[in-house]
Amino acid sequence: MLDIQTSVSYYKPWTLFWLSVLFAHVYLDVILYKRFKYWFSGMRLKSFNKDKIGLIVRIWLQEVFFQRHLLGFSKLRWIVHLLIFWGFIALAFLSISTFLVWAAGLLNIDGGRSKDILYGSGYRVIKIWGNAFGLALLFGLIIACYRRFIVKPPQQSQEQMDIVLLLFLLWLTVSGFAIEVLRISLINPAIAKYSFVSYIFAPMGRYTFEQLSPVLTALWILHSFSGVLLLVYVPHSKLMHSIVAPLVIAVNAVEDHDRRDIYWPEARRYRGKG
Amino acid sequence: MARGQKIQGKRVAKKLTWRQLLELDGCARCGECMVWCPVYEQDKRECITARGKLRSLRNIIRDSIGQQEREEFLESLYECSACGQCHVVCPIRIDTPELWEQAREALVSSGIPQPDGQVKQLQTIKAFDNSFSKPKSERGLWSERAYQKGLLLKPLTLWTERITPVLYFAGCTASFDEQMQSVAVQSARLLQEAGVDFFILGNDEPCCASKLRRMGDPSFQEEALKRIELIAGLKVETVVVSCAGCYKGLYADYRSLWPKAQKVLHLTQFLDRLLTEKRLPFKYDVNKSVTYHDPCHLGRHNNVYDEPRRVLQSVPGIEFIEMPRHRAFSYCCGMGGGLKVANPEIQHKMAATRIREAESVGVDAIVTPCQTCVLGLQYGVKEISSKIEVYHLNEIMVRSICPDVCHNNIMQAFGYVNKEAL
Ligand code: HEM
Ligand code: SF4
Ligand code: SF4
Repeated sequence: MLDIQTSVSYYKPWTLFWLSVLFAHVYLDVILYKRFKYWFSGMRLKSFNKDKIGLIVRIWLQEVFFQRHLLGFSKLRWIVHLLIFWGFIALAFLSISTFLVWAAGLLNIDGGRSKDILYGSGYRVIKIWGNAFGLALLFGLIIACYRRFIVKPPQQSQEQMDIVLLLFLLWLTVSGFAIEVLRISLINPAIAKYSFVSYIFAPMGRYTFEQLSPVLTALWILHSFSGVLLLVYVPHSKLMHSIVAPLVIAVNAVEDHDRRDIYWPEARRYRGKG
Repeated sequence: MARGQKIQGKRVAKKLTWRQLLELDGCARCGECMVWCPVYEQDKRECITARGKLRSLRNIIRDSIGQQEREEFLESLYECSACGQCHVVCPIRIDTPELWEQAREALVSSGIPQPDGQVKQLQTIKAFDNSFSKPKSERGLWSERAYQKGLLLKPLTLWTERITPVLYFAGCTASFDEQMQSVAVQSARLLQEAGVDFFILGNDEPCCASKLRRMGDPSFQEEALKRIELIAGLKVETVVVSCAGCYKGLYADYRSLWPKAQKVLHLTQFLDRLLTEKRLPFKYDVNKSVTYHDPCHLGRHNNVYDEPRRVLQSVPGIEFIEMPRHRAFSYCCGMGGGLKVANPEIQHKMAATRIREAESVGVDAIVTPCQTCVLGLQYGVKEISSKIEVYHLNEIMVRSICPDVCHNNIMQAFGYVNKEAL
């Protein structure tokens, strides 16, 4: 276990936070349940060729996890989306797993390892992971904003909701980093440096705990409750594509896996010539 | 039924498949469908794109569509050639042409009819079993006259005389349209030249009914089942069709109702087999530089790209040049999905774009194995007064194998006025 203090205990309204997470979750679950019920109320699907399961799974993995099709259009857009996709997924994974470890500690079923994982020897992995994927997400979102607001390709959707989503995700990422930047300024630099992105901006030792505590609390409230809002916003936003796309891609792989012409067509070869 | 009446979202949703209901929520709004849509290229409105249509259909189903959006949607749903380009490019893999056709059907079932032109055409198909308002007794005339005029090696076998392993299904356009009867005659003659023992249905050949599906007529399934019963009852090994629309109907649309629809081959696929068996007796060079236009119903919809190309390139003297947009990215001529009926000007402009593309590669002619595309491309030639020639693939074949049945000779023999040189 690291013997240096890694956590900074400023005030966080946990009860209110967890209550709102609970409500947001129930809301999301109810809406998703209703949507799933409604989607699957439709008419049947074409038959499923079990012999081709290997090919179907390969197509699905390539299209969902590596967005192979986007690569066919534009390398830049592909990289942007991969950064957002993997950044988001990895951070979501980190949040869920640290929550589970924390909950295990609370329930005393962690064999006493919870604290060490979160604040001791696991700390550097958590921080390097969080900073790396946070940076990926930030880069992805900044380039996406650059495309949307500066390049303005004519095919860009003009839906207000899409702009709101992009800015909302950017706000979540930036505010997350802001908390980290201020928090690590209060801890030992030898430890703080594991948050390798935040460390660059951290005003190390410049402010006291008393000075930063209210700011941290305010930022934490804004950031965390924005995260809760995102849960509520998912079913009404374009983020629904992250739930629906893997399903549609799977159905298409089942129905059209033998269509080599539509899987892997190199759109770039044809673009701008027709 | 009136186009202005209220649409009940629930009724529309009930007619969609679960994949389609999912798809309405899946759009990532990337706009690729906009970039590639040939109709959008001619009429730059968001409602024309797949993205726009998906949004409006979702709003219809949620009963939250405004008056203007509703009107635009009802217009744009039919201002679409169902070419399937948006399916190919969609990274979410939304199967758009299926969705548009199903949405048309769902709307009709909810009391919102197709545009007037399409309604009229559907009424004609149902009343006459063809879209040419011709009596059934005239359907098989082409074969009798072709034999009388010495255009066939022997009379064609009718199903009432003898059933052989191969059925040649000519389709309505090649049976009735004066400008296109050459396609039926040439197909039959090519099969004869290769020594294929085949028969035809003559006056009893039904319309494939695929246009009902294209325009979302709810009676499609019932009508298709009647035709399946007839064809399946013949117990043939192969059904050969020379029309890309009939191929889509008999092969793809019927497949969910008739698993043996795999028996259906497009003429070019069948000729490709004959080519492999060295049964196509090429005699003369056809000295032309040509490009190939993939009909949407054959290529993008059914993955038939290589066979027609192989057949075309096997003709001696042919110099083959590919257009920039080909195979899954072939630029639609605008004849599909009832677009031509609903919006002829857009079709003309789309065809003109395709003709310009053919001109850009410096060929003498553009060749396609679909008579509907031939007609469509000819509108394009007219639109821009192009010098390029438009040929049905059959025409190139017969000029090498049996030039006595070239299009002009057939027209002359039948006493028809040749409107366009094929
Ligand atoms: C699950 C499979 C997914 C697929 C197939 C997919 C596909 C796509 C596609 C094709 C686009 C349009 C990109 C462009 O136009 O360049 C897009 C946009 C976007 N996706 Fe995904 N996505 C997936 C999951 C996710 C996830 C998990 C997130 C999490 C945040 C996400 C966030 C976004 C965002 C924010 C945009 C908009 C970017 C912009 O406005 O430029 N996606 N997605
Ligand atoms: S290509 Fe597909 S995902 Fe992209 S905007 Fe069009 S329909 Fe939506
Ligand atoms: S099917 Fe073709 S015409 Fe219709 S929206 Fe898609 S790309 Fe456009």
